[in-house]
Amino acid sequence: MKLAVCIKRVPDMEGRFKIAASGTGIDEAGLKYDMSDFDGYAAEVAIQITEKAGAGEVTVISLGPDVVQETLRKALSMGAHRAVQLKHDAPVSDGFAVATALAAELKDGGYDLILCGRMAVDTQNRSTGVFIAELLGLPIITAISQLSVDGGVVKARRELEGAYELIECPLPAVVTIDEGIARARYPSLKGIMAAKKKPLDVKPAQLGAITYQLEKMELPAERAAGRIVGEGKDAVPELVRLLKEEAKVL
Amino acid sequence: MTASNGLFALIVAVAAGFFAYNVQRLVGFLRIGRLDDSRWDHVPRRLFNLITIGIFQRKIFRDAIAGPMHAAIFWGFCVLTVGTGEFIARGIMPGFTLAHFMPMWVYRFYQNNQDLWGALVIAAVAFALFRRLTHRVKRLQGAETHANDPLLILSWIGALMVTMFLAEAFEMVAFPEHATPFYRPLSFAFANLVSFVPHDAAAVIRSASWWSHGLLVLGFLNYLPYSKHLHVVASLPNVYLSNTSGPGQAGVMKYMDLEADVEQFGAKDVEHLSWKSLMDGFACTECGRCTAVCPANITGKMLSPRKIIVNVRERLEQRAPELLMADGRGQRVETTLLDGFITEQELWACTTCRACVQECPVSIDHVSVILEMRRNLVLGESRFPEEVTPAFESMEQRGSPWAFDPGDRGKWSDGMNIPTMAELAARGETADILYFVGCMGSFDDRAKKTTVAFAKIMQAAGVNFAILGREEKCNGDPARRMGNEYLYQMLAKENVETLARYNVRTIVTACPHCMHQLGNEYPQFGGNYDVIHHSTFIEHLMAQGRVPLRHDLHEAVSTFTYHDSCYLGRYNQIYDAPRQTLKRALPVVNLVEMPRSGDRGLCCGAGGGRMWMEESEGKRINAERADEALATGAQAVAVACPFCMTMLHDSISSRSESVKVYDIAEVVAERLG
Amino acid sequence: MTNILAFSETRLGELRRAGLETVTAARRVADATGGQVHAVLAGGPGIAQHAAKLAAHGADVVLVLEHDAFANYNPEALTAVLAARLGSGYRAAFFAASALGHDLVARVAARMKLAYASDVTEFAFSADSVAVAHPGYTNKIVQRFVLKANPALISLRAGAVLPAENAKAGAVEALAPVGDPTATRVKVTLTEKAAGGKIDLGEAPVIIAGGRGLKEAANFKLVEDLAAAFGNAAVGATRAVTDDGWRPHSDQIGQTGRLVSPDLYVACGISGAIQHLAGMRTSKTIVAINKDKEAPIFKAADYGIVGDVMDVLPALTEAVKQARAGA
Repeated sequence: MKLAVCIKRVPDMEGRFKIAASGTGIDEAGLKYDMSDFDGYAAEVAIQITEKAGAGEVTVISLGPDVVQETLRKALSMGAHRAVQLKHDAPVSDGFAVATALAAELKDGGYDLILCGRMAVDTQNRSTGVFIAELLGLPIITAISQLSVDGGVVKARRELEGAYELIECPLPAVVTIDEGIARARYPSLKGIMAAKKKPLDVKPAQLGAITYQLEKMELPAERAAGRIVGEGKDAVPELVRLLKEEAKVL
Repeated sequence: MTASNGLFALIVAVAAGFFAYNVQRLVGFLRIGRLDDSRWDHVPRRLFNLITIGIFQRKIFRDAIAGPMHAAIFWGFCVLTVGTGEFIARGIMPGFTLAHFMPMWVYRFYQNNQDLWGALVIAAVAFALFRRLTHRVKRLQGAETHANDPLLILSWIGALMVTMFLAEAFEMVAFPEHATPFYRPLSFAFANLVSFVPHDAAAVIRSASWWSHGLLVLGFLNYLPYSKHLHVVASLPNVYLSNTSGPGQAGVMKYMDLEADVEQFGAKDVEHLSWKSLMDGFACTECGRCTAVCPANITGKMLSPRKIIVNVRERLEQRAPELLMADGRGQRVETTLLDGFITEQELWACTTCRACVQECPVSIDHVSVILEMRRNLVLGESRFPEEVTPAFESMEQRGSPWAFDPGDRGKWSDGMNIPTMAELAARGETADILYFVGCMGSFDDRAKKTTVAFAKIMQAAGVNFAILGREEKCNGDPARRMGNEYLYQMLAKENVETLARYNVRTIVTACPHCMHQLGNEYPQFGGNYDVIHHSTFIEHLMAQGRVPLRHDLHEAVSTFTYHDSCYLGRYNQIYDAPRQTLKRALPVVNLVEMPRSGDRGLCCGAGGGRMWMEESEGKRINAERADEALATGAQAVAVACPFCMTMLHDSISSRSESVKVYDIAEVVAERLG
Repeated sequence: MTNILAFSETRLGELRRAGLETVTAARRVADATGGQVHAVLAGGPGIAQHAAKLAAHGADVVLVLEHDAFANYNPEALTAVLAARLGSGYRAAFFAASALGHDLVARVAARMKLAYASDVTEFAFSADSVAVAHPGYTNKIVQRFVLKANPALISLRAGAVLPAENAKAGAVEALAPVGDPTATRVKVTLTEKAAGGKIDLGEAPVIIAGGRGLKEAANFKLVEDLAAAFGNAAVGATRAVTDDGWRPHSDQIGQTGRLVSPDLYVACGISGAIQHLAGMRTSKTIVAINKDKEAPIFKAADYGIVGDVMDVLPALTEAVKQARAGA
């Protein structure tokens, strides 16, 4: 089976972000980058499929400047077989434009299954996978938490709010991966060494038209400093009031 | 020379030949291991170890009962072996005597000793057999032990002694003119008891005993290579070849060249271990002192350091013939040391506290086997408890095993007027001392109190120091101890670079793990600093009278107990400084010791990366330690390590409302005048 | 071109609250632009009964697609219907930012070759564009976009617009499938409520967690009671507690357990060791109840009560029950 995984390089989400002077990006100074979480799960799922079958090939594809090669190498060190960088230096926030470039690369690859993360954890747009499927004319199942591929049929489970669905579709297909399906493995040093020798092709990205433009980034209102509401159970009514009116979680 | 002499000579030749064959066979086994572990340096130091640990049995005496017993047998053996040499020579060449090679009075003195030590050995062997058969000594039990072997060996030694006495006594009966009552008082007394035996019968008994003794000696020699009692032969060389690095260096993990084009990282099987680790397997006699002090084993986990070493030997004896028979005649067993003998679960249970290494009477290093095997698990196979992944990822991404914002690292110092190295450099200034705070001290709210306390003490003493703030990274110890050398080297190199940028020479830290890394392991990456733990540093400042203390405070507690950190104590031999610091700060307070303290201190359970792993097997180690601390009746527990702090705080607070845990710096800072 | 479409999500024959939010949002826009609100109600037989409720929340027209093939979510058939309908001329369409809403809005946008805005918390319509805000960077940054596509397809974050009654005619029109709605490649074969009502820690919007301060395992009942009072809460625990066997290891929150960030995290009798904080400090609102006012957890908390959890929890459970009954 031939599998493709689309991955995105994103900054580490644990730090506090600062907005860059341009106002449309984050200040990248001191940030570390890694594969978007859901894309990591997708790569893991694809690698596990080939490992289990003892056959098949996983291609990882990422769009971006040359630094994405580092992220592609990480996927290779996890066990992907080859990588493609669609080179494009400026940041793109339009999912359709990105999907156009990815679909152009995927179109003639003869892939049975294309996997993406459910969303990129930076832009949180959730559009790329679905657009790729539409552009390629393939069926798609989004945000799945379980997957099996058997006899040319994909069977999947999707978590809903307080419920779940079982879904199936024929191959070739596109799926987007939610959490809970597999944790991205921690690459072994052996894997890292092997990845250095695996093929990584660089091609120009053929982006689609941009119709969704990021105008501005802002930091949400600072979290107010914590406070002691009171002592003992007498403080409960005030706490409930704050949860309701201030935090709006009740 | 008679026919009997000839026969004996032939038997000796065969026995010696067979023994020599086995020695070269086993040395050949060691050569399948990694040979890049030279032990031919430090000759005086090695001789010193050989004499103190080997000859004088220094570590053996750490057990008050087994110690004298073993020493009696060992010293008896040393003395009697000379006599055995004479015995064999005389068996081949009648009339041979050592008396020809020394003054007669020395020879007589020696004979005297032969008699005396023979008796002591018999007594010790009898006691040992009695102890084994009647008291099920806990440390001598275990599935990995060879339960019958020691009984056989003890009986064998006993028989050697008895036949020696029989031969001697009946010689006196058969040939009264040979009797030397004054020089062999015990044999002579025995001879008197059996003097009713007719001379010719006595001569027969003497001859039978003589032959029995001779055959038992040669048999014993040749049984050893097939028994755990190879220990008898391998121990002294093992002590001589043991790790001779000085204080702080003994626990250093070996550097790994990650750029080397090799297939194997760390150890999956015996051939990936150092030849010295393989030799440890030959030296081990399964006494179980290591396992008896292992915090994991004590609290019911599967790990037993003795089993690790026994497994190494077992697998070596299986694997070495396979590798050495290049033509494939050896029968291959499809297994490896990992999984086939030692499970992942055992390897991850180790806290790297080095109590086992400390205790081993023949200087076996169990921890290095465990750590090499962890390296294979992580670097080679990416196999480790899944809860460790966030710690690895976070160290890589954020330079701390916990996912905190690196920008918050220096936040504890807000309002304290403590400069960072970068701020000083921007002003063209520098500081005498760098305070390397560490991740716990920077991010854990409990440990931050220690951090602040130590900083206040230094400020009060007028120390010119600075911190790195957000430029500081985890020292990498958790990664290295968990086998992730790749991640460790990344962090170590980054820190070395940062420290070089500010030309740092002297570092203080309140974390023993930071101290050990920066001081002892960073030289592998060109980082050479004078690293001082806060216990030593505060003690030093107090001794100089630089810490203004109030002594008019009413002390809420009257007894303290101090818990030793493994990386401070066993790794760096710092036992006194924290205790002295407490005594200086609390002159009226009584310091009580736990039964397991100093170099016998019990680990808190956090070392070796255990801090980031689940502990669901058996009792929790910190609970075991808390019970011990509370049993002293102390009203407060002092620690000198942020990991010990969190482990003990956690377990003590759930057992006692009143007993609190303090870092020694907090105790001092509280009393600053 | 000023009409606004609202897709009203249903599940297993029930109308979801998010389905009213989209109608309310559409109503708000239509009131400003002078258009009509067309609500789409799709489902199996009997789904039409909910039309009145959509009318009460401001639908001028309720487009009812009642068909066996839509009893479960039928993404491809719905995409065909909605793309065709929207192609006939709408200013905008609102979907819920739910698992299904995210799926559907992306499909419709892809089919129509339009950009769309996902998980929107704010929107402002002007003549030829819509200014929207949606969170990014794990909700740490607000991203403001200009969406020029027409119609503007938007999925609306839950709670961004609260359902409000604003009765309109709600004329019911039947909406027919496009082609054979059973001849799809993607088929949902089963929809089922999550078992036992137990909510996974990773999904729960509210987590009530207990620590050693509860003194013994039996007292976790108080934590469970509070979780039950919230209705959408899961129960978590500290490592000390799971190590002691008071709770299963799967309940552990912290560095070596689950890493969570719910909307509300209530820490009961938890001191706040680094191991625990590493697993929950990104929660949106943190409440701490602990009798030791020096406990580190108060530094991480938004709201704290200093007191014995044994006293405070029952009172809080009562108060939450009342608050929810009133809401």
